[in-house]
Amino acid sequence: MIDMLDLNDKHILVTGASSGIGKETAILLSKLGARVSLVARREDALKETVSVMEGDGHHWYSCDVSDAENISGLVSAIAGESGAVDGFIHCAGIGVNLPVSVTRTDTIDSVMKTNFYSFAEFIRLLSKKKNSNAGASFVGVSSVASLKGDKSQGAYAASKAAMNAYIHPAAKELSARGIRVNTVAFGMIKTEAYERFLEAGGQDTALQDQYLGYGEPVDAANLLVFMVSSASRLITGTTVVCDGGYIS
Amino acid sequence: MTNEKKLELIEETFDVEPGTLAPETELESIEEWGSLTKLSLIVMLDDECGKTINNDIIRSLKTVQDIMDLMEQ
Repeated sequence: MIDMLDLNDKHILVTGASSGIGKETAILLSKLGARVSLVARREDALKETVSVMEGDGHHWYSCDVSDAENISGLVSAIAGESGAVDGFIHCAGIGVNLPVSVTRTDTIDSVMKTNFYSFAEFIRLLSKKKNSNAGASFVGVSSVASLKGDKSQGAYAASKAAMNAYIHPAAKELSARGIRVNTVAFGMIKTEAYERFLEAGGQDTALQDQYLGYGEPVDAANLLVFMVSSASRLITGTTVVCDGGYIS
Repeated sequence: MTNEKKLELIEETFDVEPGTLAPETELESIEEWGSLTKLSLIVMLDDECGKTINNDIIRSLKTVQDIMDLMEQ
């Protein structure tokens, strides 16, 4: 029997690892033998995630990646402690729901800092040989909003579309070292963020279009793990859609 | 800026191991000396030395020492 998703002793960096898709992905990676470096703001939630992971060699880092100036020191610390990465999964991000009539540039800037600038800064730093191994895979968590945004998703959709655009040149540039760069555009996944969105009075109109139903965090984790495994070694410079049919 | 610091910055720009380059190293012998590295060099010289250089200057560079000399001026 073969194990297509064998990640034994691979070092994978996961941001946004304290909850939702990031947490589920970190846990799944550990079950497949990977060593995971987890990044998020909330220390207690990171510790809780690590406590349910399997295997050894996992380290957590409490860091606000919306401030790009924090990321250089963070990546140095991670590479120093666990070595260069074989994979990078950027789940950190925020969602903002505002009509365009009240979306000011300072709001857009704030969303871009967390969702896009941090992604670009991680890629800049991880492109260095000291921080990533040849053949590494970098994956950004994007959204179907970047391809088919709904009302009130202007700033959010733009930030995710920026990620989708950035990976094309990045994939070409880093291909010299066999490094792959992709984004995954998820449809609605039932995470804590989704629950908060509903509690805040958000209108859930996506289910009609997402005709396979909403995803669970593990559905997202399955694809992200595949994307950092060698099973996806011919996939680069593209946005993979995982949306239960939403944009079809 | 010391020669050691200059070499460190050049090696970082070329993304090669520390100690890989010497002043007499010919740029054409360095695998990483391609168009992307040349663009990165322009940015490094601007960031670290406040020096703006053009393509003619890039084309005139032959050795690591030539870059170090630019960093001096």
